[in-house]
Amino acid sequence: MRPGGHAPGRTAGTQRDQGPRRRAKRSFRMADGRRRGAAWRVGIYLVTLWAVVTVVFFLPRVMPGDPLTAIREANSPLNSEDRAILEAHYNLDQPLLTQYGLYLSGLARRDMGLTIGGGAPVGQLIWNRLPWTLLLMGTSLAVSSAIGFAAGVSAAWRRGGRVDRRLLTVMTVLHAVPEYVLATALLLLFVVRVPLFPSAGAATPFTQSYGQLYKLADVGYHLVLPATALTLGLLGTKFRLVRNTTISVLGQNYMVAARAKGVPERLLKRRHAGRNVLLPFLTVVGLQVAFAAGGSMFVETVFQYPGMASLMLPAIENLDFPLMEACFVMLAILVLTANLIVDLTYARLDPRVRTE
Amino acid sequence: MTPLDDLSVAANSSTGTRTRSLGWVGLVIIATLVVLALLAPWIRRYRPETISWDFLQGPSWRHPLGTNRIGQDLASQMIEGARSSLLVAVLAGGGTVVIGASVGLIAGWRRGWVDLVVMRVVDVFLATPRWPLLILIGLYAGRDLLVVAAVIALLFWPGPARTLRSQVLSLRRRAHLKAAVGFGAGTVHMLRRHIVPEVGLILVAQFLSAMGRAIMLEAGLAFMGIGDPSRTSWGSIMRDAGDYSGLIYSNAYLWWMVPPMLAIIFTLLALTFVGMAVEQRINPRLARHHTGRA
Repeated sequence: MRPGGHAPGRTAGTQRDQGPRRRAKRSFRMADGRRRGAAWRVGIYLVTLWAVVTVVFFLPRVMPGDPLTAIREANSPLNSEDRAILEAHYNLDQPLLTQYGLYLSGLARRDMGLTIGGGAPVGQLIWNRLPWTLLLMGTSLAVSSAIGFAAGVSAAWRRGGRVDRRLLTVMTVLHAVPEYVLATALLLLFVVRVPLFPSAGAATPFTQSYGQLYKLADVGYHLVLPATALTLGLLGTKFRLVRNTTISVLGQNYMVAARAKGVPERLLKRRHAGRNVLLPFLTVVGLQVAFAAGGSMFVETVFQYPGMASLMLPAIENLDFPLMEACFVMLAILVLTANLIVDLTYARLDPRVRTE
Repeated sequence: MTPLDDLSVAANSSTGTRTRSLGWVGLVIIATLVVLALLAPWIRRYRPETISWDFLQGPSWRHPLGTNRIGQDLASQMIEGARSSLLVAVLAGGGTVVIGASVGLIAGWRRGWVDLVVMRVVDVFLATPRWPLLILIGLYAGRDLLVVAAVIALLFWPGPARTLRSQVLSLRRRAHLKAAVGFGAGTVHMLRRHIVPEVGLILVAQFLSAMGRAIMLEAGLAFMGIGDPSRTSWGSIMRDAGDYSGLIYSNAYLWWMVPPMLAIIFTLLALTFVGMAVEQRINPRLARHHTGRA
């Protein structure tokens, strides 16, 4: 680990320094409040990833139904010879454990195989859809974080006041509305009642000859409603957390002391309260990536956005093992990596979080 | 809509009386739903799945909420949806809390390696994207409503488990509990007489939030078309409405799409309100009105 951060004397090492200023290694809070090192964190990350991959691999295969039966039912009957050829092609005739080994080694080589319905490379398909999901999730997480943080601190600052009460009501209601209901409501309001926004897709087709700026604006225009739905879905939790944390921070002795020595209100809010709220907030943002991934599937479905949902749901319906496994694994990697990054940054941001 | 299990809802409330009256409002809404669901066979005038020639009709005396594209009475479907939602809420919510509470109690009480193993499993669960996993497992485990409820419980127990564990850990440090252990009280006695009564209300609050999440997930699955195909749910009504391409060219969405949306929102709000009132009982300090800023 390299030294860094704003805290003095932070040369993180594995053994504790005996000098007057104790050096400490970075550590992370686990679900039980215990603090562990970065290696432990990465270990949990890998174990979780492995668990998800394994569940996603075995679950469809031990359940009744298989992709080739699904193909046969969809189109024409598949005779046993063709079936055997196809099974051999997709390694479906191998024992489960062999298939599992092949799958893991494929993943390690970043080879996710071919789809069973069509034989297209799975990696390519995902590469086409994943950016849209990332755009939707990223925009929503960023916007909801900014609004949630600002609104939460302001509400707590004027606790019990009119702003606080209004915000509280709005956020409590928002918190109770699922994303798919929000998305449908926005669709009905701003596409059907007042036709302001496009109803589907992420960009207008056949615009190759238009300028880059136009295309960018077009993508943004298509993004407004889906991103609003997901943002509103994420906002309630963040607001509540920031407000509650700020209220508890405001009661701390150091706030009283800072106020007593005449720190201006603005600085008090930004430096003394805001920075202390930032850390628990970061944890929630990390946890929300998982919720955003789930919510994004719903929102994409409602707005027919060409993200991962448009790949995953048909894949599930057709029992297309390689494709749907890849979709889940990609989502899992996305969420887990975000959590890992949050955990690793946490120790960097908070000089107090050290072992011993 | 992202229920984080360890965030206190009651800390939201600025005044105690308001929270309490909202709690009653929520309770009345839920009670109404329960009565509707229980008395459904006697209240409804049509079976929810019966199709008729009276399709796409607006609200009328015969069909209070109109009919859908294949002439099914939407009011009956809404009532049937309430039954599905409440069934899932009770089964999945109950399952989540029973599993979570048992695991949390045992982990907090036994401590040591049991605790260590349990909390590592909880870590893995909390870091996993559980919604997509729910879609996958729900689809393969079978689309039956009971199976959906079981899968929800199996995926979401770690939240209550973590809350319960930390409660037990802090409770057992109290003097009278230490004294009881010192006088030779056994595990069963301690849990029954000292721990469970203390965490009772917390369990109720956890149950309420788990019920809300279950309703949301069940309707969401049905909305995506991966719910129980043999049952009408608020989510499946929304899906049917969304699948009808002519929906937006008339006012049909007003009585077809909007009612299930409102039903979901108000049910979840009602559960939130009751939850807020319960949490205020647990910790009245949270609701006290502060005038000072510091």
